[in-house]
Amino acid sequence: MNNQLKVLRAMRNWSQAELAQRLDVSRQAVNAIETGKYDPSLPLAFKLARLFDMPIEEIFDDGFEG
Amino acid sequence: MASKDRMMVTEPQEPRAPGFVWPTLICFGAIMLAGAFAGYNAAAAEAGDATLAPWIGPLIAAALGIGGLFLYFRRHAGWFRALSPRQRRYWTALGLSAVVGGIIGGWLVLDQPTGRSAADLFSSGVLSPGFAIGASLLWVAGLAVGMVLYHRAIDDHEERAWLWAGLAGWYAFVFPAPVWWVLHRAALAPPVSVMALFLLTMLVNAAVYLWFKFR
Repeated sequence: MNNQLKVLRAMRNWSQAELAQRLDVSRQAVNAIETGKYDPSLPLAFKLARLFDMPIEEIFDDGFEG
Repeated sequence: MASKDRMMVTEPQEPRAPGFVWPTLICFGAIMLAGAFAGYNAAAAEAGDATLAPWIGPLIAAALGIGGLFLYFRRHAGWFRALSPRQRRYWTALGLSAVVGGIIGGWLVLDQPTGRSAADLFSSGVLSPGFAIGASLLWVAGLAVGMVLYHRAIDDHEERAWLWAGLAGWYAFVFPAPVWWVLHRAALAPPVSVMALFLLTMLVNAAVYLWFKFR
């Protein structure tokens, strides 16, 4: 699944470690989400949406064009 | 002068995370000390002199080791306090596992009869009943407490790594165990080795966990 995490993080000038601290996850988790190797759980996706003040579907894109 | 002093003031430093070198050295030193007591006792027995009670050496070594580790980690208490509750549980679980592993390892070294090489530590040689019972209890209790703490502390990503690693470890047991067993019953293979299967599952588990966690 594609996502905007790297862009959103860069806009705030946060390192992966800083974002991980704000989400209370490991830095490896942030890296895995950014590189598309891991899709976060729904609670973590909601946490990200709240942190960036955006709807989940604006952060994550499952490629569906209905 | 005052303004120069103000300019020289450095930003407060973030608390430093504890490293691995000092704890390793402290544990190694405690094991060496216990070994020295055991060596003294062996030499005294050979010379026909009075020996110390066998528990004195390990007790002093363990007390000094635990004291050293306590002093070392107290220096990093600020770092520990700055962690989130989840991270605190995580490092507590890892620390507890390391201590239990260190105690079992140190005790195993001390339990070896004199004259055996380091490679014999992991052979199927005879162990004393005291060590066997004590190490088994420590392993089960330490693993149970450590794993509860650990699994309550890990994030989604690491949990997923463990789920796949656990499944892979399970398959690493399920595939070879019955095959080996029937081959042995047909006299086509040596007797089934529990420790070989255990080692295989651990290796597969660790490899898959590390792949999912750090790739």
